[in-house]
Amino acid sequence: MRNADRLCLAHLWVAFAAFVVAAALGTWQMWVRSPLGAHVGTPSQYFISVTAHGVSMAYVLSTFFIMGFGYFVAITSLARPLPSLIWAWIGFFIGVTGVAMAIIPIFAGSASVLFTFYPPLTASPFFYVGLVLVVAASWIWCVLMIVAMARWKRENPGKAVPLAMFATVANAVMWIWTTAGVAVELLFQVIPASLGLTQTIDVGLSRTLFSWTLHAIVYFWLIPAYIAFYTMAPRAAGGRLYSDTMGRLTFVLFLIYSLPVGMHHLMMDPEHGNGTKFIQMLLTVFVAVPTLLTIFTITASFEIAGRLRGGRGVFGWIAALPWDRPMVLATGLAFVMLGFGGFGGIVNNGYGMNAMVHNTSWVTAHFHLIFGGSVVIMYFAIAYEIWPALTGRGHPSMAPLRLQLWLWFCGMMIMTLPWHWLGLQGQWRRVANFNYDDPTISGWGPWVIVSFAGGLILLASALLLIRNLLVLHRSSIRFAPRPLYTLPVHPVGRVPAALNGFGIWNVLVLVLMVAAYGFPIGQYLVAPSPGAMVHRVMDTSR
Amino acid sequence: MSDHSRPHHPTDRPWRVWASIAVVVILSLGIVLGVLIIPVVQGRGAGLDAYTAICRSLGLLPGSPAQPQPASAAPATPVSQVVWSPEVLQVLARADTSKGRATVQEVCFACHGENGVAVSPDYPNLNGQSGAAMYKQLSDYRTGSRQNEQMSGIAQGIDETTLADLAAYYAGQSKRSPALIGGPEAVVRLVVLGDPKRNIPPCRACHRAGAGGPIETPILNEQARDYFVQQLQAFASGQRRNDVYGRMRLIAAQLTSAEIEGLARYYAAGQD
Repeated sequence: MRNADRLCLAHLWVAFAAFVVAAALGTWQMWVRSPLGAHVGTPSQYFISVTAHGVSMAYVLSTFFIMGFGYFVAITSLARPLPSLIWAWIGFFIGVTGVAMAIIPIFAGSASVLFTFYPPLTASPFFYVGLVLVVAASWIWCVLMIVAMARWKRENPGKAVPLAMFATVANAVMWIWTTAGVAVELLFQVIPASLGLTQTIDVGLSRTLFSWTLHAIVYFWLIPAYIAFYTMAPRAAGGRLYSDTMGRLTFVLFLIYSLPVGMHHLMMDPEHGNGTKFIQMLLTVFVAVPTLLTIFTITASFEIAGRLRGGRGVFGWIAALPWDRPMVLATGLAFVMLGFGGFGGIVNNGYGMNAMVHNTSWVTAHFHLIFGGSVVIMYFAIAYEIWPALTGRGHPSMAPLRLQLWLWFCGMMIMTLPWHWLGLQGQWRRVANFNYDDPTISGWGPWVIVSFAGGLILLASALLLIRNLLVLHRSSIRFAPRPLYTLPVHPVGRVPAALNGFGIWNVLVLVLMVAAYGFPIGQYLVAPSPGAMVHRVMDTSR
Repeated sequence: MSDHSRPHHPTDRPWRVWASIAVVVILSLGIVLGVLIIPVVQGRGAGLDAYTAICRSLGLLPGSPAQPQPASAAPATPVSQVVWSPEVLQVLARADTSKGRATVQEVCFACHGENGVAVSPDYPNLNGQSGAAMYKQLSDYRTGSRQNEQMSGIAQGIDETTLADLAAYYAGQSKRSPALIGGPEAVVRLVVLGDPKRNIPPCRACHRAGAGGPIETPILNEQARDYFVQQLQAFASGQRRNDVYGRMRLIAAQLTSAEIEGLARYYAAGQD
């Protein structure tokens, strides 16, 4: 195995190790929230678990997977070595150190602040510094991705950057913009408070800074799934990509419209005027555009494949698709979850409807369906697709892979559809338990049990994923190299500079960010609001 | 990231121009609708002039353009005068324990002992107690929010800085044992899980170092038993009412006297 392959696998294994632990914690949480586990665990243990689950899924799984997959894409799509393997390994070890620093205080009970921090709650400084190290590791990755693309462009003047790499760099550029908000919040507000240097914290400012990060981070997680949609799924289906330009446009739109929209997470917050909320709400609507472009393009690509395989009629091509291939199956299942989750997202984005679902299980359901569902199922499909190339071994059988994907889909739907329903009834999120004896909420009990059943199915799927990957590592079947990436229907010739680089888009992001966040952040500097007292979370007597 | 070494493609410039135009148009649409048209139209319905409505939409003035602000003439009647402002936190942070010790030796020691261990179970132990908790109670005695024959008079004779000094002195005395040893199941249950059926939260949700509860929450372990019972009874009857939002009055009124007794014994034993 080559060093670069080991680098990718190391990242992916850290990601999936965190994932399987987090899946078990998530299932436990569903148990204690259900009537079946009413007397299990304490609230303190619940919030330790929620924090560990969120940090593992949102920061460790996503960041390490994206880094590992990004290195793979850079090496395979550009057909050149990474700019620096040493720096990539340094980044990996910084990230792993950060994860250890963050996880230990969580399980020690001194960081039960959830992955979104919620100042003025303040955790052990090790927790925050650990997460800063994870982000620092990802910045090294960003630089390596940008340099890799720049060098390739220098060596290939006039040629279009392969779509998979263009998208990866779009993600890297977006991530640098994205992390600025949380980095400022942590370095200038939260970490000084956690070190005891400050006794109060301006919560309005910290929430605003976090909102800067909070929506784009979701697109950071999402883009690998879209890379698979555009560059892997059509080939797996036996077809070609309907439009390479549409792909480039999609990733560019993600870059510009994922950032100036975070205030839709603060619709119910009092610290901003309705006008600024409206501007960001309107920009949020435009985030639907790249998703709709993608659904159109990938469906068209699949139709090409289905018709090439002999499908006839309006829907006959769907049945003709090779659904037994994990990448194709995962794409289909991801689209179904994206449909439900996207619909829920439109509800979240409407100011009035947001008021109804705010702080309810509806929101939890939405982000589990989009990230935990559509995105993570594509992480699995990507893993199944690239693992053979990394190890040189083939899957002995596709059946367990399909079973794992189906279990994940069914589990996620069974878990999140009742959450949506309960959210509409007002079931609050971020609470450790419910009193089902209260007649006003006793009707929730059966639905929570259904969600718990979904959680158990998800846990089974998570364990099966690990089993499938371990089986592959021991497989005696030799992997026959084959092209990974889809060819577009029309060969890509010269593309406009705007679709082959990010110069103009960075300028536009800057304009949008100044317009969207200039005043909302500036107001705190002009007229600081009274600080909230820091609450230090330190469990000394659990 | 643009490549300057090669000639520009004919579509490069139109892409740049039209992309910029599209973004600026969308942004302008948001600004015109969100900051001008909607607030002015909604503000008219709420009886607001255009200027106020626009200022509200930007957050320069409080309130939403669509809603008249509710007016209330009811005077506020806070249960405590203590405000945890940065200034008060500074007073606490700068407290001088040697001055505090002098005051304790002069005034407090007779009941609470020089090291904070009370001479009678009727008086609270103060050793290792949270400084903010002691400051809050002494301030409440001073302002009349909490009343006690002896303490009201004593606290009224002491200034704010001295209160902070002696609170810091007692806070620095021997720490209390955080060990959780156990006890009757029903009592441990109240401490750890509360009783959701009666809307009683777990005691340790707040009364535990680092629980994230209100800053003035006192440490309960190793607290004097009789004092503990008296205070819960006083909260239950409404005789003591300096708890913000009536939290302890609500909880204590739900507890049976056997539970109060059990909790007092549990905490007096130095558990949790």
